[in-house]
Parts: sequence; C-alpha cells; structure tokens
Amino acid sequence: MKRRHFLTIAGVAPALALLPGFARADDAPDSIAAIKARGKLLAGVKMDTPPFGFLNEQNEPAGFDLDILRAVAATIGVPIEFVRVTSVTRIPLLLSGNVDVVAASMTHTREREHTIDFSADYYVGGQTLLVPKASTITGVDTLDGKRVAVQQGTTLAKNIATLAPKANVTAFRDYDAAWLALAQGRADVLTGSLSILEGFAKNNDGFKIVGGLLSKEPFGVGMRHGDWAMRDAVNATLQDLWSSGAYAKLYQTWFGGEPPEQIEVYPQ
Amino acid sequence: MGELLLHNAPFLLAGLRATLALAGWSALVGTLLAIPVALLRYLDVPVLGRVCAFYIWFIRGTPLLVVLLLAYFALPALFGYRTTAASAALVGFIVFLAAYAAQDMLTGLQSVPRGLIEGAAALGLTRFQVIRLVVAPLGARIALPALFGQYVRMFKYTSVASALGATELTGSVLLVNGRVFQPLPLLGIAALVYLVVCLAISLAGRWLHQRLAPDFAPATPEG
Amino acid sequence: MGYHFDWAPIWQHRDQIASGLLVTIALSIAGLLGALLIGLVVGTAGASRRRPARVAAVLYVEGVRNVPLLLHIYLWFLGFSALQLPAFLCAAFGLSIYSGAYAAELIRTGLASVPAQQSEAASALGLKRWTTLRFVIYPQALRAIAPSLASLASQLIKDSSLASVVAVGELAYEAGAVDADTFRTFEVYATITLLYLLLVTVSSHLILRLAPPATPGRRHG
Repeated sequence: MKRRHFLTIAGVAPALALLPGFARADDAPDSIAAIKARGKLLAGVKMDTPPFGFLNEQNEPAGFDLDILRAVAATIGVPIEFVRVTSVTRIPLLLSGNVDVVAASMTHTREREHTIDFSADYYVGGQTLLVPKASTITGVDTLDGKRVAVQQGTTLAKNIATLAPKANVTAFRDYDAAWLALAQGRADVLTGSLSILEGFAKNNDGFKIVGGLLSKEPFGVGMRHGDWAMRDAVNATLQDLWSSGAYAKLYQTWFGGEPPEQIEVYPQ
Repeated sequence: MGELLLHNAPFLLAGLRATLALAGWSALVGTLLAIPVALLRYLDVPVLGRVCAFYIWFIRGTPLLVVLLLAYFALPALFGYRTTAASAALVGFIVFLAAYAAQDMLTGLQSVPRGLIEGAAALGLTRFQVIRLVVAPLGARIALPALFGQYVRMFKYTSVASALGATELTGSVLLVNGRVFQPLPLLGIAALVYLVVCLAISLAGRWLHQRLAPDFAPATPEG
Repeated sequence: MGYHFDWAPIWQHRDQIASGLLVTIALSIAGLLGALLIGLVVGTAGASRRRPARVAAVLYVEGVRNVPLLLHIYLWFLGFSALQLPAFLCAAFGLSIYSGAYAAELIRTGLASVPAQQSEAASALGLKRWTTLRFVIYPQALRAIAPSLASLASQLIKDSSLASVVAVGELAYEAGAVDADTFRTFEVYATITLLYLLLVTVSSHLILRLAPPATPGRRHG
C-alpha cells in the first residue's frame, strides 16, 4: 500500500517540476489599493530585537521599526497590525502576501534586490561583536575556533563566514535564541548589528562590544517586487519624518544621539 | 518568582486562552472532518476512498512542524493567498488531527465483530442501515479512547505553533523569557499547565469510555 | 508575478539537505535507543509485583507524557543551561525521555501479555529471574509489540524535526536555511516532506523485518 502512495507521488512530481508556474489573482503590484480595501496595513516586524522590534515591560510590541511603520500606516490612512517575523521568515512572509511591508532590521543588499524591493535606507548600522566582559576576544582575527552565535538568514551570518572562516558558527532562528546562547555561555561571542548589540549590553551588565565595525549595514523597508505604490508611500513617509524633525526625535529616543546620516529628501 | 509570574500573568493567560481555542477548534472540526474520510475508506468508495487513503498516509508520515510550515509559508506562496499565523496553525492542526482521527475511526469500524454485522444483515437490514445502526455507533465507542488520546496529543502539539509565531502558551513563555531570563520558573509553570489540562482530558476520556464502551472493546488504547 | 517552479536551487543546495537528513537519522537513532532503554526500565517497573515500582512508573509516564516534547527540549536547552549541553544532546535527551514514557507503556502491556506460565516454567528449569527476563520474557514481549514499536519509531523520526528550534542542523533546520538563501519556499518544504515520508516508511519496514509480529497478518501503521 505504501509503495502505491510513493508511485502516486512519483507520477505527480514530474508534472510539478515541469510546470512553468501560473499567474495568481494578487499579481497586480499596487498593494495600497488592496490595503485600503482591507482596512489595515499588515506590518512585519521583529519582536525580540531591541531597539528595532521587541516586547517592552508590558509585553507589548515596541521599537524603532514599529514607529517607522506606524508613520507609513498614517500616510496611507489605515490602522496598522503588527505581525511577528524573524530574519528567516521576513522575506518568505512578504513574498507570500502574509505581510504588506517589512521593517525588521533588514539590510538592503543587491542580492535581496533579486527577490524584493527596498525603500530608501532609513538607518545605517554596522556589524560588530558582543562578548562577556572577561573575554579575551578583541576582533575578527581572534575568532578562530571560538563559538559564534548569529541569526539565520542574515547578511551578518554571511559576513562572519567570510571574515572568520575558522570560527565555529551556529545560526539561530531568531535573535532571542542567539542572545540566550551567549548569555548562557553556549557561545563565546554574539555577532549582530551595533545598535541591537548595544541594546542587549545596555540591559545586561557583564557584556562589552568589541571588534569595531565589521561591515556597513544600511537598513531598508522591504516590499514586494514592483510594488511602486508602497515604495512611494514609504519614501514619502521617511522624507516627511526627516523634514519635520520627527525622525531625529525617534532616533534620539531609540538610539540616543543625532542621526549620523541624513535621509535623502526630494523636492516636491 | 511570584512577582515575575504576577507581572506577566495577563500575557501568559492570553497565550493559554489561545492554546485552548486552537486545540478545541481543531479537535472539533478535525473530528467532524475525519468522519467522512473514515467512512469513505471503510466503504472503499472507488476514487475518493483512494484519495482518503493517500491523505491519511501522507499526513501520518509528515511531521507536524512541516505541515504547519507548509500551511503558513509554502502554500500561501504557491497559491498567492494571505493568511495569518493563527489561521495557518488552525488549518494545519485540523488537517493533521483529521488524518489520525480518521485512521482511529477506521480501526474502530473494522473492529466491530463480524458476527454482529452478519446478524444485522440476517435481520434484513440494508448495508447502509447496518452501518448506520450497528457498525458506526459501536465503532465510535471502540474508537473513543484513541480519539481522546489524539485530543491530548493535539493539546500538547499546540506548542509547535510557536515555530510559526502564532500566539499560544509556549511561544508566550519564550518571549517573556527573552526579556527576563528566568527559564526554569516559566517553563515549569507552562509544563504544569499542560500536565493538568492533559490529565483532565485523559480522565474525561476514560470516564466517557467506561460509561459507553461495549464489552468487547479493549480497555486501553494502543500506545 | 505568479509562482514559477524552480527546483534548480534545491539541487544546488543538496549538500545542506543531505547533511540535514544525516543529522535527522543520527538524532532519531540516538533518541530511539534512549527511549528503548528508558522504556525497558520503566516498563519493567510498571509490570512489577511490587507496588512502589508500579507507582514510580506511573508517575514517570504520566508526568513526562503530558508535557509537550518541545517543552522537554527547551527545559534541557534553556532551563538546565548550567549544564551547557550541546543542542543535539538536549534534543536527544528530550526525545529519549519523552518517547521513553510511551515505550514504557508499550513494554508494560507487552510484558503483561506474556503468559505467567512462561515465568513459572523458566523458574522450574532453574533459571534466575534476570536470565528469565532476558531470554524468555523480553523477546516475547518485544515481538508482541513490534508493530507498535514501529509506530513509535516513526513518531520519533517525525518529532526529531522539533530539534530545529534549538538550532540542531537536522532536516527541518536545513530547510529553513535553504529557504532563507533561495526563497524557494514551496520547493524546499515539498522536498523535505518527501524525505520524511521516505524515512518513516523505510524505518517501519526495517523494524518489522527485524522483529516480525508474533501473530502474522496483524495490522500495523
């Protein structure tokens, strides 16, 4: 009986493999109209990555990315609903239509441009290392044989593989898990974005940032390929935030200090 | 520790409520779905019977995590529809439970002693009447312990929905732990809750079985 | 945009998927051996004539079985973090302890199904209790429950997928990694679904081959 079932699969599978694919009802790239019709913006954010997207003391989602997307929702004119994503799931959920837009500490890369579109950069950070205060690790060259925790599906994971090929890297499915690995001593070093690591270090004594900036990581808001309406809405929102000074205030709140780079503003 | 739990109680209770809803609805709808599937297999209906056989074999050979991942990521990407983690989890659980419940019901139906069926036929009942009046009621009562075993399993399996980010108890506990780093009390409380609810469901099943079971039914389900 | 099937990236990442498959197999074997060991100890206690042993067995079985496997794994990984167990061991322990409870129940009923005359005859022949258990009782009990053991093994293989949440590099984890690289979500999950089906089918056949059921023609699966 079981062989018969495998034969069924064997019969159907080649058909699937040879199928060129098919068009779907939601292929029209203008998502704003659909969002307005639906009545809410589905925003993909992280919920374990301070200060970009995390749970606050009241266990409510909060963070820099969330505030940016709240402003986007206001521009479009609909309420916002946050959907939890992780580095692994943020692009698949965007592609499948489960979220309309993603702000999840996502680096704008040319490779990702093949699959999704990005807004203008809304934050520039860099990759660095977080270690216990007592650690002797000082940088990327001292990582040989050390256990490195990183998030799966990130530029950070790719970078560390290139920069420290002899390190023992484990990729976790979200920041929560990677951070816990370091905090519990399962990993010698956590590598991630500067602001995120600073967020962890601020809330927990006993850790320090080392190694300088290993890479430049510009963050962009992600949307589906060809979704020009969404990209215009997000870029307009970012520019308005900058011009009105609201962006600088947000930056001060979440990161402390002045924004190091300006958001590009186009004239009307 | 008490303060930790008190402070986070609303959030954790919301997770528990979501877990109960998820388990409850998937048990209800999954069981209802399993009935036609089991009957189609029992009667060996020409095309649909084979389809049901394939469905049962396919789901029973696939990990729940993979079923949920298919429901949340793969199928929406393939067919271009939008879903939430909660809906995908519900659909995944329903489809999952129905396959196992259908197999248990099928076993129950096939366990009804031949003698009873032949006796009913000898009384002049049609095939459908035999099934409706004799086989199905008896088969249902034989299958009852196994079905309750599936319900208990389902309640435990809601924890896997945390991989989708759906709201339920285990995921909520992990999110709180990410903030406060007190895994033992948090996981301990969660374990206790699952234990209590699962035992309650098991006892309910056993009580029902004692009241309804026919004499020839096995006392405990296999495994 | 539509959906365009593209299986090539999956083939390009076949090394990752193959590695995941091997880890799944290793984890499943480790878990199964552990579960059988625990099952033999606890199951024998459960069938014991002495009341304390039986009570202890029930406490173990009910206390362990009614807690989700995922929680077991997290307890070893996060809860007992002081032990610093590698993720693979956390998953293996979780699987062994959890499945061990189910195995214990199976073995208990298997032992109960062996007629008492067997023990009596063995002691009449002058065999000690442990020898009796080892050469007379256990083999018969195991043969009686072989189909259920095959089910247990299948379940264990499927449950091993949960190890992915603690970053054990088994099949489900590697699927996530390949998905993150290629974004071919449907193709990668369809592939591992087939691989799990294959694993479960092959393992059932192997176990039934190793320990044919005592009563031929008995339904399994």
